[in-house]
Amino acid sequence: MHHVTLDQWSRGVSGLHQRDPRVKIAAVLVFLVVLATAHRMLPWLCLALFAVLCTVTLAARIPLAGALTRAGVVLPFSAVFAAVSWLAGDPQRGAALLMKSYLSAFAVLLLVSTTPLPLLLRGFEMTGAPRFLLMVAQFLYRYLFVISEEAQHMRKAAWSRGATAAGLAGNAQRFRAAAGALAVLFARSYARAGDIHRAMLSRSFPGYFRPLVELHLHREDVAFLFGGVLTPIVLRVLIEGAS
Amino acid sequence: MHIPDGFLSTPVWAALDVVGIPTAGYIVRVAQREFEDSKVPLLGVMGAFVFAAQMINFPVGVGTSGHLVGGALLACTLGPAAASVVMTAILAIQALVFQDGGILALGANVFNMAIVGVFAGYLPYYLWGRGRARRASIFAAGALSVAVSALLAMAELLLSGVHMPASILGVSLGLFAVSALIEGAITMAVIGALEAIQPNFPRPLAAARARNYAVGALALAALVLAAGGVVAASTAPDGIERLALDTGIAQHARTWIASPLKDYQAGFLGAGWPAQAGAGVLGIAMAGGLCVLIGRKR
Repeated sequence: MHHVTLDQWSRGVSGLHQRDPRVKIAAVLVFLVVLATAHRMLPWLCLALFAVLCTVTLAARIPLAGALTRAGVVLPFSAVFAAVSWLAGDPQRGAALLMKSYLSAFAVLLLVSTTPLPLLLRGFEMTGAPRFLLMVAQFLYRYLFVISEEAQHMRKAAWSRGATAAGLAGNAQRFRAAAGALAVLFARSYARAGDIHRAMLSRSFPGYFRPLVELHLHREDVAFLFGGVLTPIVLRVLIEGAS
Repeated sequence: MHIPDGFLSTPVWAALDVVGIPTAGYIVRVAQREFEDSKVPLLGVMGAFVFAAQMINFPVGVGTSGHLVGGALLACTLGPAAASVVMTAILAIQALVFQDGGILALGANVFNMAIVGVFAGYLPYYLWGRGRARRASIFAAGALSVAVSALLAMAELLLSGVHMPASILGVSLGLFAVSALIEGAITMAVIGALEAIQPNFPRPLAAARARNYAVGALALAALVLAAGGVVAASTAPDGIERLALDTGIAQHARTWIASPLKDYQAGFLGAGWPAQAGAGVLGIAMAGGLCVLIGRKR
């Protein structure tokens, strides 16, 4: 599963993994803005940024081929729109859509695969995102696996009773059965949330997550911030200046 | 429809970040007041439920299946503010962990699906959820939430200058209509089944709450109309500029508004792309600042 692999990667050991999440978020945001606003000499700029991302991937000891494939999840969607733009007589925009969306996804993938999600969300808290929302996101991520597994069990049970994809032809009864399954999943999730809440109260939950480690900006983090912010900007100035 | 990064032009994504992210921040505060901190697990687990619900296939037509999107179902069961928070959290996790939807485009996606989509979905249920048309209102809730989100996403893409031949536009509008009907049917069936399990699951519509949401409901109706208008306007090539030319805004706007981010360029940074990028960053900073202000605890 996609997120399981990311979880493993994000717990790796490298200089990049050790950097403060805030400086990584800042670097990725600058990268995305530089890429999103680019128009001139786009193929060359994309090539240069791609090389930078590949270097960072290798430096972070993340399998390059795996990362490249995983960033490709945006390609089907982008390819449809690229084809539409091409049909509309604007192939350049189509190519730009493909390159920009792929590189953006790659950059975000690198951020997530070098930072465990709880740390990443704490990094976002420092940027002003509401804590309540981030806690909801963290709970969501935590129980994603649990509830998904339950849904998989239910799907397997339905299949074993003959609800296979082959017999999906507009069957009202089967539609109602699927709705019933979803309603049961809803009710179970609701009840589980109540149990979780009681368990947390019994452990004297203060209403927020107590951080286990405090975030500190070290000298290396500041250096990384400068490098990460300046690299895409300098590359773009150089490449656009060369035209 | 999750818009990835690189699809929207800078004015569109920056504007939607500035509008969408602080609005989401405000809704989070409203939901927090309603739900107190201790209910965090409920919203998180219900978000996980919406993710997992995609694994349950619903047979629709020959050999094809659809799945729940969830905005309207959550709005009818948890209330619109909480549903909006859950959808925002889902979109954030999808953008970060699954590369489904962009980070710069997160404001746009949150605006389309978590804010307008959820509230538009709540509107029919709020208006007719008590009467005889209850089942129809739930159907309309599901259909409307998906239709409005998809139309907004389409309008934003067109405004960003993604060209679409009329035939393809027609086909996509048809697909939107079909998926809206499917979502309506699924939402109606699931809520029906939920009521059979436990009658008080769908949120009872209390009269006291009604006045609060009446204003919001009106605003929503306006938004829905606006979304339709935007789509109609953007079928013309390069919609936003055409619209500006047609209405003569282009000539006046420059003299009326001398904002520091005029033309989405930070004037003091000079012209060209550093100015545009600077304006984008400033926009993000403004959105962040607004969030800090709004998100501060009472």
